[in-house]
Amino acid sequence: MLRLGIKSLLAHKIRFALTALTIVIGVAFVVASFVTADSLRSGFDRLAEDINTGTDYTIRGELSFGDITDAVSPAVPADLVDDIAAVDGVAIAKGGLFVDGVIPVDGNGEAVTTFGPPVAGGNWLEDESLSQFFLIDGRWPVGGDEFAIDVTTYGDDSYDFEIGGTYQVVTPTGPREFTLTGTAQFGFPENAGIGAIFSLFETPTAQEVLGYPGEFTQINARAEAGADIDEVRSRIEAVLPDGIEVLTAEDSVEEFSDATETFIGPFQTILLVFAFIVLFVSMFIISNTFNIVLGQRVRELSLLRAVGATPQQVRRSVLTESAIIGVVASVAGLGLGMLGALGLKGLFNALGASLPGGALPLTLRTVLWALVVGVGFTVAASLVPAIKASRISPVAGLAEGSTSDERASLGWKRLASGGLLLAIGLVLTGMGLFFDFDGATPQLTTLGAGAAITFVAVSVLSPLVARSVVSLLARPLVWIMPISGRLARANAARNPRRTSATAVALTIGLALVTMVSIVGQSLKVSFGERLASAFTADFIVTADTQAGLPKTLSSDIRAAGIGTPVGFDFDLVQIEADAAPVSTVIETTLTAARIEDLDEVINVGVTEGSLDGFDPLTGLMIHTDVAENDGLWLGDQVDLTFVSGDRVTTTVAAIFEGSGFWSNWFIDSALHARVATSAFDDVVMVQSAIDDPEAARASIDEVLDGYPQAVLEDRQEFQESIESNLNTVLVLVNVFLGFALLIALVGIVNTLTLSVFERIREIGLLRAVGMTRRQMRRMIRWEAAAVSLYGAVVGVVLGAAFGVATATAIPADIIDGVSVLIGQIVFFLVISVVFGLIAALFPAFRASRMNVLDAIADE
Amino acid sequence: MSDSATVAAPSTHAAAQAVAATKIYGSGDTAVRALDAIDVTFASGQFTAIMGPSGSGKSTLMHCMAGLDRVTEGQVLIGETDLSTLSERDLTLLRRDNVGFVFQAFNLVPTLTAIENIMLPMDLAGSKGDTAWIDDVIGATGLADRLKHRPSELSGGQQQRVAVARALAGQPQVIFADEPTGNVDLNTGAEILGFMRNATDEMGQTIVMVTHDAMAASYADRVVFLVDGKIVDELDDPTPERIRAHMNQLGA
Repeated sequence: MLRLGIKSLLAHKIRFALTALTIVIGVAFVVASFVTADSLRSGFDRLAEDINTGTDYTIRGELSFGDITDAVSPAVPADLVDDIAAVDGVAIAKGGLFVDGVIPVDGNGEAVTTFGPPVAGGNWLEDESLSQFFLIDGRWPVGGDEFAIDVTTYGDDSYDFEIGGTYQVVTPTGPREFTLTGTAQFGFPENAGIGAIFSLFETPTAQEVLGYPGEFTQINARAEAGADIDEVRSRIEAVLPDGIEVLTAEDSVEEFSDATETFIGPFQTILLVFAFIVLFVSMFIISNTFNIVLGQRVRELSLLRAVGATPQQVRRSVLTESAIIGVVASVAGLGLGMLGALGLKGLFNALGASLPGGALPLTLRTVLWALVVGVGFTVAASLVPAIKASRISPVAGLAEGSTSDERASLGWKRLASGGLLLAIGLVLTGMGLFFDFDGATPQLTTLGAGAAITFVAVSVLSPLVARSVVSLLARPLVWIMPISGRLARANAARNPRRTSATAVALTIGLALVTMVSIVGQSLKVSFGERLASAFTADFIVTADTQAGLPKTLSSDIRAAGIGTPVGFDFDLVQIEADAAPVSTVIETTLTAARIEDLDEVINVGVTEGSLDGFDPLTGLMIHTDVAENDGLWLGDQVDLTFVSGDRVTTTVAAIFEGSGFWSNWFIDSALHARVATSAFDDVVMVQSAIDDPEAARASIDEVLDGYPQAVLEDRQEFQESIESNLNTVLVLVNVFLGFALLIALVGIVNTLTLSVFERIREIGLLRAVGMTRRQMRRMIRWEAAAVSLYGAVVGVVLGAAFGVATATAIPADIIDGVSVLIGQIVFFLVISVVFGLIAALFPAFRASRMNVLDAIADE
Repeated sequence: MSDSATVAAPSTHAAAQAVAATKIYGSGDTAVRALDAIDVTFASGQFTAIMGPSGSGKSTLMHCMAGLDRVTEGQVLIGETDLSTLSERDLTLLRRDNVGFVFQAFNLVPTLTAIENIMLPMDLAGSKGDTAWIDDVIGATGLADRLKHRPSELSGGQQQRVAVARALAGQPQVIFADEPTGNVDLNTGAEILGFMRNATDEMGQTIVMVTHDAMAASYADRVVFLVDGKIVDELDDPTPERIRAHMNQLGA
């Protein structure tokens, strides 16, 4: 039976290739997600080991909560360096600085900024392997007027830097001129290193300009040769004051891996989700193909049964055939996936992510996953067709051969099983949307399972309505093209089961696209409205680097007399409210801003208490939601602990009901300055005192000359740029969902090719009685368009339902009200018809080229 | 024996004719001469049957005459049009407008109703056809009350009558029928042949029918016998007995 399976595959290479293609794409997705994630992991791990070679110990301020992915370690005092150097077994200890947000400006006045990686400043050390800063060209900077720059930026043609030239560097303490003396690399020069961007200074200068007088961000130490690493570690620990910790190189590597995993993990998961969508859609295509092909092979199979094959043997032969397709597709998918991973990496680097280099790692786990997924999905999809094939009776072939226009099993059984599945699917979907789960994973899994079951239910129910809906949708064809249109419409409606199975792939793709469109649009509208009502400031200044805007910016604007600037600094805080009836400990985001000016730039909406007389050093303002949920009220004592470990007691002095857009907790910047070392604001809002907007903008621009990382926008522009960020995400999602549509396209090609083959005599007859090739092609193209439109309409209806439900389920402070872009949805429908027309090109060509005589003679 | 000498030049009375028509399949040693320099004329308003044993080339002759296939050498004319000069597209249009077909089986498009099948060539051409004539044809089929039915809802005989009606509806210069009764029982066969006979007698339709059934051939005005790609004999005003006698002779 194995030989039979192989022979049957070889006899139909095109069909085989098309069926396999759908799985190839799905497997490639799986492989690309694993390989890319593995490559990132191994790259970053290598880098972490690399940069920790030569540094046995890192001594730094301990975070009182959270980890280095969301907070900056507190500084360590400079005099600790000597204490550590004096520890028995320590060969050398030096203070190091590495501070984000130090931006060099090139000869053309262009600031060096990136998407993602830090743009930092630091100090160089004589012992290069201790700091991991290695000199490449020129010499190390000395004194207060010199600096070195990373070799990546220096070598980047889009920036203009020359050794010996004088350039502005914007530091947390403000802009300053330095002479460039050399270039350096982070990590050993013989390795590729990471494309970090940094400016280096001599240690005293670094401490001064980076805002760490008498302090370091960390101390790097190395043990004497042959010393026991752990023993020396304990001895170092013994001399450390409270709030300062020591990490071995091993700890640092692990911490770095954990930190990178926080973005690699979700990235891998998202790609895998798309992979499973593609594979899920492929299952329908494969199942449909097997159904049609086995239908056409009824004679052959019944002959097999007649000469003595058992039903089990027939079933096994079909499953063998699908397993072979699965294996071949998995192997091809592995190859394509590797290419995809290469492309993804290239794409990220092109976007400026500067990922570590190295070969793409193909692990056994990836290969196994590819095979399991590829073979598993293919065999699972062919299970029902295989069982059906095994039930073919030995005399079935003696009866009339054509089974193309089946009307059977469109009855109660289908309605009942489909209805039951639909109910289960909808209940699960509803639970996923509205039920509060413990964590996102069970919630999303329930939602996904619900959606998948709903789609299966739709595919089961669809044949019940396909004939009438397709006839209705395709009616205009009859008016436009009397005969080709009428035949196209009739062909699309003639086999509701096949039409449904073909269309369901498109249904799923379009349902997802429509859902994303509705949720995205609702999000955009709600966000825009909230944004518009949240603040009243005329101008908003943001930074195009991670670090943010130096706090000097808002004081500079104030000093220039342009208006009222308010800087917002979002910080991580641990809140303990002992005074409340319910004792609460929450980790959350707190906003530090100048409270007395707050209502000039945002709609605060104070409901209780007042901003007048708000004590900047003890006052706390909370949102009404917090007041209600945590039972806090005016006068309650709330303890705030910052990552530095500093702890202050505040008193609730005001409750506000304005948008919680910034956060639900506000303190004054004056208090924040005492407990946190942050030298940066995340955003600065300006209420202009100058009436003419153009003049106001010009005046602010003048101040911003010293802050090349600053981006000045008015309210309109700010709103637009936030919207455009959202659009980018939506486009990205749609590109991935596009793969599901691609699979749908392959499905239509497949079904149509098989249908044309099946209708060979009918086609011969039409050609004999005078249908031209052009009329033939048109008939087949519009048949495909009709099937596509059907799939698309069902998909849009389903997607709209999902979309509205999702938008409703999302809390009102994120999405408030549903918005639908009708135009976009109409566009989706038009695109689907175009998809169908494209899918039909090949089958239509084949049909039109069919030899009339062969077609007539076909038995 | 044959009247080929008298029809060597194109005749205005000929609905279709072949002049030295040769069809060779394959090449070199394996070449097969399916038609060997055949000269034959199908006069206007006549019902002709082509007979011959299996592999005699009768179906090939019909396919070449009907514009479904091309001859290797020689000429085929429908009316005064030389088919060898036509492009694939023009050949299709000629079939649509000037030739009618009745096949042994699978004559009708299953998704179209009886009337839609009858109107198919006209619909493909985008013309209405001669309404009065079509009404006559439909009347003659006796299927006026079943026109909205699909082929699957009609009996085999009814289906073939619809097929003949479709061939007649466009008033083609010639109708080619390939074993039109091969798939139906005797009574139904007689009913269809009678209908075709009427088409010639009352509507003046030229019909060329390929068959191996002497009974069927006896409905024709003239029978042409084909053996090994050559016309070997012919018979006017045939009866089943005379046809069988000729066939036996040829076979011996």
